[in-house]
Amino acid sequence: MNMFIHELKAYRKSTIIWTCSLIALIVLFLSMFPTFSKEADAFKEIMKGFPEPIRKALGLSVESMSSILGFYSYMFLYTTLCGAIQAMNLGTSIISKEVREKTADFLLTKPVTRTKIMTSKLMAALTCLVITNVVYLAVASFMASIVKTESYSYKMFFMISITLFFIQLMFLALGIIISVVVPKIKTVLPISLGTVFTLFIIGMFAASTGDDALRYISPFKYFETSYIMKNGSFELSFMLLGIGFIIVAITTSYVLYSKRDVHAV
Amino acid sequence: MNVIEIKNLTKTYGKARGITDVSFNVEQGEIFGFIGPNGAGKSTTIRTLLSLIYPTSGSATIFGKDCVKFGPEIKKEIGYLPSEVFYYDNMKVIELLKYSASFYKKDCNKRIKELAEIMDLDLNKKIDDLSFGNKKKVGIVQGLLHEPKLIILDEPTSGLDPLMQQKFFDLLEEENKKGATILLSSHILSEVQRLCNRVAIIKEGKIIKVEKISTLQESNHKKFKVEVTSKIDDNYFNLSGVSALDIKGNIISFLFRGNINIIMKKISEIEITNLWIEEPDLEEIFMHYYEKED
Repeated sequence: MNMFIHELKAYRKSTIIWTCSLIALIVLFLSMFPTFSKEADAFKEIMKGFPEPIRKALGLSVESMSSILGFYSYMFLYTTLCGAIQAMNLGTSIISKEVREKTADFLLTKPVTRTKIMTSKLMAALTCLVITNVVYLAVASFMASIVKTESYSYKMFFMISITLFFIQLMFLALGIIISVVVPKIKTVLPISLGTVFTLFIIGMFAASTGDDALRYISPFKYFETSYIMKNGSFELSFMLLGIGFIIVAITTSYVLYSKRDVHAV
Repeated sequence: MNVIEIKNLTKTYGKARGITDVSFNVEQGEIFGFIGPNGAGKSTTIRTLLSLIYPTSGSATIFGKDCVKFGPEIKKEIGYLPSEVFYYDNMKVIELLKYSASFYKKDCNKRIKELAEIMDLDLNKKIDDLSFGNKKKVGIVQGLLHEPKLIILDEPTSGLDPLMQQKFFDLLEEENKKGATILLSSHILSEVQRLCNRVAIIKEGKIIKVEKISTLQESNHKKFKVEVTSKIDDNYFNLSGVSALDIKGNIISFLFRGNINIIMKKISEIEITNLWIEEPDLEEIFMHYYEKED
């Protein structure tokens, strides 16, 4: 428990900042919706001027843009980008910071197993993400109910929003496994930003080319909002693959972390 | 009873040297010195004992339990002070110490206050703002606050001023009297000489000697310094039992081990103006060991 609380305190500030950024993003985007829906036809004309691959890459679907869910799912792509960076940062830093800040000697000479250290850190990271998601969801729901022009399915809205959490979990797991495999990470940001943006761009490619194989590489494309809106469910194969990846990555991290030599600084 | 038993411990880092076949025991209640030059493998051995790194082969037990398998359990009774201390910078000293104490299932508040007072440490400062020496003090308090039965110190005195070193040694001796066993790694021989009962000497990853300090000093080595009136033959004192022979002008110095009458007769045959015969300090004995192995 002590380590869990220690980690939560350590990440309190960054969690608040990320949550606020996500909220700011959603408030800004959704507050544009009333104006946008009024001028929807004009916007549609402009958008039709864009080549189709680009529209697909950006997640612009002309037909659904005038509905609140369509508009929301378009901007949600950027919410997930932001959320992915948060999760990846968290995952990459939470284990590696002990080595980077040279506090590993302190922690690992205490009477605790490495498994317990890992669990505490993992739980702390999860708690940060859950807090972010709960606050985000509350604010997003509230904003949507204010700006809506017609009634919409809250179930759909919820299903789209919750994918933020799934995507964050995948990036958290990815961050953790990277931090365990790479012996010493000097700075977190280049690694996390690099990975997230690469996967984001692969996701854009996958969308514009319609290549399903590419979709499997980018966590951003595991939950297609258009599919969710059409079927009211997640795509099973991607869902299973996502869960499988998280389980494998976390288990491997546990094993590697327990066996790792912690060298003097 | 042995608190630490190390058997044929080997750790290799790829091609780089780690430690080879290290074996020694530390008995209950003793202060055991572990000395050797930088990079000889002192830290490697200690980090293996603390299961920070895992041995390539061989094993070590602490309190009779395997240090890898029962790591977390035995660490309850170990206090460790690393050579370089680093802590969570944005914490206050007291917060860090309380965090450290929270790992042990006992109330350490009183002990923290006592230790901080002895070491003259301000508990309300941020760790970030502390000087190197003061960080070291945090390390000392952190290592001792749970009253461990085994204290492992890895070059502990660097950064402490002489007064603090003295206080720290007193503290260690007090802990030792209360029953704590101490393993002290160092390359500063005087502090080992001052504190320890026995020493293990490590060089290039191998233990070259485990000996009582008193035996080491008494090993019949005498340090001779002779001032002669006129220059004599360089090889005049070059006989068996003489080592570290050094001739500087009219002053000849060497270490001698063996029948002292032989050397006295030798000296009586020449004209001398002055003569010193001393017990060599450990440093000279160890330099002797190190050089002999080369």
